[in-house]
Amino acid sequence: MAIVIPVIFIAVMAAAIIKKVNVYNAFTEGVKSAVSFTLSLLPCLAAVFMMCGLFEASGLSGLLIKVLSPVFEFLGIPEGLTKLLLIKPFSGSGSLAYLTEIIEDYGADSYTARCACVCYGSSETVFYISAVYFASQKGKKLARPIIIALVSAFIAAIAACALCRVM
Amino acid sequence: MNAIFTAIFILSAAILAFTAPQNFLTVLLNGAKESLTVAVTLFCIYAVWMGIAAVAEKCGITSKAAKLLKPFCSRFFKTQNGEVCGAIAMNLTCNLLGVGASTPYAVKAINGLAKENNSYAQNLLFVINATGIQLIPSTVIALRTQAGSTSSADIFLPCLICSVIATAVAVVLFVSSEKLFAERRK
Repeated sequence: MAIVIPVIFIAVMAAAIIKKVNVYNAFTEGVKSAVSFTLSLLPCLAAVFMMCGLFEASGLSGLLIKVLSPVFEFLGIPEGLTKLLLIKPFSGSGSLAYLTEIIEDYGADSYTARCACVCYGSSETVFYISAVYFASQKGKKLARPIIIALVSAFIAAIAACALCRVM
Repeated sequence: MNAIFTAIFILSAAILAFTAPQNFLTVLLNGAKESLTVAVTLFCIYAVWMGIAAVAEKCGITSKAAKLLKPFCSRFFKTQNGEVCGAIAMNLTCNLLGVGASTPYAVKAINGLAKENNSYAQNLLFVINATGIQLIPSTVIALRTQAGSTSSADIFLPCLICSVIATAVAVVLFVSSEKLFAERRK
């Protein structure tokens, strides 16, 4: 599988030579747009990370976990997973750190850890994505798409916990 | 985003003001610091992929791919704009391969769609991306191997199934809610 990536790069460069494109100039142009793109993301990233920091530090996320845990358990989601499911929409790095913790605590091949891995692997950081994607579009109404994305992720999480019992 | 940000910010700040006011500023500063670390990581990924993508674009590879995908694009995303189609195609491909360069293309497509006032396609693309359509969960498999799992890749199939479920549910919900709203407007 790993061989695919270098092959893509070589193929693109070979095509460029055939078409007599200046590879170096085109490449640096691309990197230049990466610079401006990353810079344009920075304000959103800073705001979202500050919000996530406050959310954790204030104990608000802990409180939410306590309230939601019984509901989640009723739906077949193990207790250890509530925090992961709550953090994932906000922060990729935060949820990855917590996933590592779950794997260490429960053991890599345990049911909880496998559920956690599937939930992590099949979901995305919804709030972060919405902030980044629509950074340049002020005032766009996003409530419905965000709710749909969160509901779908939650349904997939329930499916993940059910699947891990049999697979 | 505005409502969520303001609500969580004020609520958390109010709790912190009572419980640990001395931590408030540290937490904010750490958040800003973390955003910079993440931005650096993202820049590295984007520099590599946007570099090679620019070369591909100059050779006309991207526009050829866009032409091939145009029928699909106009059907599902209701857009005729070739450049937007190309960006959507690249975004979905990057997502499937998990190469981490999907975001710049998504943003390009979304900004292009904004010019045509195509809010439908913007939201659809967001919903697809926000539910993840990754084929190989490489991070998770690597983590499990590290932790001494006996069969670290056995979560591959459940992951794939769940990620397909999430995206399918999201698309169905979005398209049907869109129809519902359109009927109401009439």
